[in-house]
Amino acid sequence: MKNCKKLIALLLSAALAAGVMTGCGSADTGSTPTTRPAAENREGEVNQQAFEAEHAVATDRTLTFGIQEYSIGVDPAQEVNTAWNCSRYGIGECLFRFDNSMNVMPWLCDSYTVSDDHTEWVFHIRDGVQFSDGCPCNAAAVKASIERLFRDSVGGSSKPKTFLAEESVLTVDDAANTLTIVTPEPVVDLTKNLCHPVMIVLDVAHTTDYVAAPIGTGPYAAKKFTEHVGMTVVRNEHYWKGEVPYASIELLYMGDASAKAMALQAGQVDLVENITNIADLDNLRNDPNFTVTIAPGIRTGICHMNVSEGKLLSNATLRHAIFKAIDRDTMCSVTVGGLYTAGFSVLPSNLDYGYDNLTNPDPYDPEEAMRILDEAGIVDTNGDGIRELDGKEIMLKYVTYPNRCLDTFAEAVQQQLTAVGIGVDLIISDGAGQWDSYQSGDFDINSSNWNTAATGDPCEYMNAWWGDCEADYCGYNNPEYNELFAKLQTTYDDAQRKDIIQRLQQILIDDAAAFPLGYYNSSMISNNAAIGGAAINTADYYWVTTDIYPAA
Amino acid sequence: MEFIKKNKAFCLFALLALLIILGAVFAPVLTGGVSPTDAVLRDALQAPSAKHICGTDKLGRDVFARVIYGARTSLTATFAVVAIIFALGSVLGVLAGYFGGWVDTIIMRVADMMVSFPGMVFAIAIAGILGASVKNAVIAVALVSWTKYARLARSLVLKIRNRDFVSAAIVTGSKTPYILTKYMLPNVIPTLVITAATDIGGMMLELAGLSFLGFGAKAPTPEWGLMLNEGRQFISNAPWMMFYPGLAIFVVVVVFNLLGDALRDVLDPRNE
Repeated sequence: MKNCKKLIALLLSAALAAGVMTGCGSADTGSTPTTRPAAENREGEVNQQAFEAEHAVATDRTLTFGIQEYSIGVDPAQEVNTAWNCSRYGIGECLFRFDNSMNVMPWLCDSYTVSDDHTEWVFHIRDGVQFSDGCPCNAAAVKASIERLFRDSVGGSSKPKTFLAEESVLTVDDAANTLTIVTPEPVVDLTKNLCHPVMIVLDVAHTTDYVAAPIGTGPYAAKKFTEHVGMTVVRNEHYWKGEVPYASIELLYMGDASAKAMALQAGQVDLVENITNIADLDNLRNDPNFTVTIAPGIRTGICHMNVSEGKLLSNATLRHAIFKAIDRDTMCSVTVGGLYTAGFSVLPSNLDYGYDNLTNPDPYDPEEAMRILDEAGIVDTNGDGIRELDGKEIMLKYVTYPNRCLDTFAEAVQQQLTAVGIGVDLIISDGAGQWDSYQSGDFDINSSNWNTAATGDPCEYMNAWWGDCEADYCGYNNPEYNELFAKLQTTYDDAQRKDIIQRLQQILIDDAAAFPLGYYNSSMISNNAAIGGAAINTADYYWVTTDIYPAA
Repeated sequence: MEFIKKNKAFCLFALLALLIILGAVFAPVLTGGVSPTDAVLRDALQAPSAKHICGTDKLGRDVFARVIYGARTSLTATFAVVAIIFALGSVLGVLAGYFGGWVDTIIMRVADMMVSFPGMVFAIAIAGILGASVKNAVIAVALVSWTKYARLARSLVLKIRNRDFVSAAIVTGSKTPYILTKYMLPNVIPTLVITAATDIGGMMLELAGLSFLGFGAKAPTPEWGLMLNEGRQFISNAPWMMFYPGLAIFVVVVVFNLLGDALRDVLDPRNE
C-alpha cells in the first residue's frame, strides 16, 4: 500500500514535470537552465562580492521599495511610462542595456553584426536565456515579442516605431539562434534604440495579462498588482544571470516625497527612489542609518522659450537678459539642495558631447542684464517696476508643473526676473496641462524635465529646435542649426556626430534659445540595516537589479 | 465710558481687531521696509535670528515680512467675501421674503441648489474652473456662502411681513422701496451683522484653505494659506515656515470669532 502511494506520487510528479516542459513547446527540451554567475557585465564588483558574502542568509528575504506610480501597469506596448515600469521593477529586459556612461552593453543579445549601409542587423540571442516561466528566450521569441509590440501599441504613447521602423523585416534563424532585422532606412545605431524599455522582450506565447503580469527575462517576475497600491514581484528561478538575492520584492506606490521619506525612516520600507524634497533628503543624508546615492542622470530641467514671431521672447536682447539675470549655480546648489547640477547647455555636462568646449556668452550678471535691457530701450516707462517692450508690459507666461522641483525653480526664476524688471505670470499646472500648453504654443516659457538621451542619443530631444520639424513648438528657426541637424541624421561616425552635436549646443547657447535650469540628479535612499548595494543608475530605467542585496 | 464698562469683552476684542487691521495697513513700518517678495537665494531656510526674527523661507525671503504683509491679502479678501455675501444675501433674502410667489421660489430654489453641495468642495470646483487667484477664491467662497444670509433675511422678513404696521404702511400709500428700506431692512440688519461678524473667522479659514490647496493666492503673493503650503514640505527642517503663518491665522481667527460673539452680546436685546 505504502509503495503504491509512493508510485502514484512519483507518477504524478513526472506528469507535472512533463506538463511544465511541454508548456513551452518542443524547443525547450534541449535547453539547460543557466545559473552560472555572469561576471562579464556586472558593474560594481564590490556589490557582487558583498552579495556573495551575504547571500547565504538571504534566500527568503523580502524587500520593500517605496516608489512613485508613474502609470498604471507594466505593459511596454501601452505607454512609455509603463514600459519604464516593466524595466524598473526588474521584470523585463532588452536585447541591450546602457551602462552608467550610457554606452551600450550586450544583454539578451550577446553579439551582433551590421551591414556597411546600416540596414541589415544580425543579432545573436544569448544561449540559455529563459523567461521567468522557464520557457526559452530565443530568436523566435524575440521576433514574436517585437511583432506583438507593434500589434498592441496602436494608440498608446509607446510608439515603438520611434525605435524601430514598422516596415522592418524580421527573420529568424533557429539553428544559429539569430534574429535578422532589415530596416527600410539606414539606422545610425539600432542597438541604442533596442536599449529602450519599450523594446523589452516578453514571452508572448504565454503571457495572458500584459498590464499586471507580463512574463519577462528579468531577475524578478510579476506576481500581484493592485492599481495605486503596489506590485509584488518574486524571484525568477530561471534567471539567466546568476542568483537573485530576494525571494520577493514589495513595490509600494507612494506619491508624496515626504511620505516616502517618513516611511523609510519609520522602517516601513527598506528602499525609496527619488525623494525630491530637499529638506527630507538633507535629513536622510545626515542620518548615518541611511545611504543616499545621487547620480548625475540624463535629464535636463529646461525652460523652452517660445521665440515665435509676435511673442515677447522673439526679442533676442530680452532672452540674453534672462540668461544673465538668473543665478543657476545658487538655484541648483541651494534652492533645490543639489538635486540638480548647474550648467548652461541643453545637454547634461556629464554626457560626452563636449560640454567643456562650449562657451557661455551670458554668465550670471543681473547688473549687465539690466544694462543691456536699458540700452535696447526696454525700460519701465510707467513706473510699475516692470519694463515694457514695444509699448507692451513684459509679463511672461511661465507654465510648469510640480515635478522634480520644477515649481521651486519657477518661483526662484520669477523672483530673479522680477528683480530686473521682467514680469512673470506663473502658472503651476499639472503634467498634462504643461504638455498641452507646450504643444499648443500657449506659453512664453514652458518648463519641464526632459530625458535628453532616451536611446543614448540626444537627436530626438534636440529635434525641438529643428525648424523643419513639426515638433518645433518653440518657433525656433536657425538655418545653420537646421542644416547641421539634417546632416546629423545621415552621419554614422561617432566622432563626427559628437562634433555636430557640440556645435548644435553652441548655436542654441549663442541664440539664448532655451534656458537650462540644471541637470537632474536621480537619487536612491536605502536603510543600511536592511539592504546594501542599492544605487541609482545614470539611465533611470533600472531600479530593481540583482545588485541590491539584503544586509546580514 | 459707560459703554466700555458694560461691554469690556467687546471693547477688548475690538481693540485687538483694530490692532490687526492697523498692522496690515502699516505693514511697511512694522517690517522696517523689508519687502515680502525680496528673495536672497543664498539665505534660504535660515532659522529665526536677529536679522530675520521669524527666519527665511525656501527662496530666502523674510518670513516675518511675509506674515505681516499676508495680513493685507487675508484681511482684504476676507472682508470682501463677507461684504459680498452680506449684501447679496440680505438683498435677495429680503426680496424673496417680501414679495413671495415666483420671486421667492426662484431665489430660494437657487439657494437650495447651492447648499445641496458640500461648501468647500463646491468652492474648490468653482475656483478650479475660474483659475487660481485671490479674486477667484473670493468669488468661489462668496458663491457658496451667500445662501445662509438669504435664508436668514427671508425668515426675518416673513416674521414681520404680515404684521399690522406693515399693512398700515401699505394702506397709507407707502411705496414698496420705502417699505423695504425703512421697515424690512432695519429688522433684518442686526441679526445679519452679528452673523457676518462671527463669519469672518470662518471665511478667513476657507480662503486660506483654498490657497493652501493651490486654488487661491498665487506665488509670490504673501498669503498665509499659501505660505502654509510652501512650508509643508519643510516642516521637519524649517518649522518656522509653517509655524508663523499658522500662528497668524490662529490669532486672527480667534480674535474675530470672539469679537463676533461679543458683538452679539452687545446687540442682542435679550442680554439687557
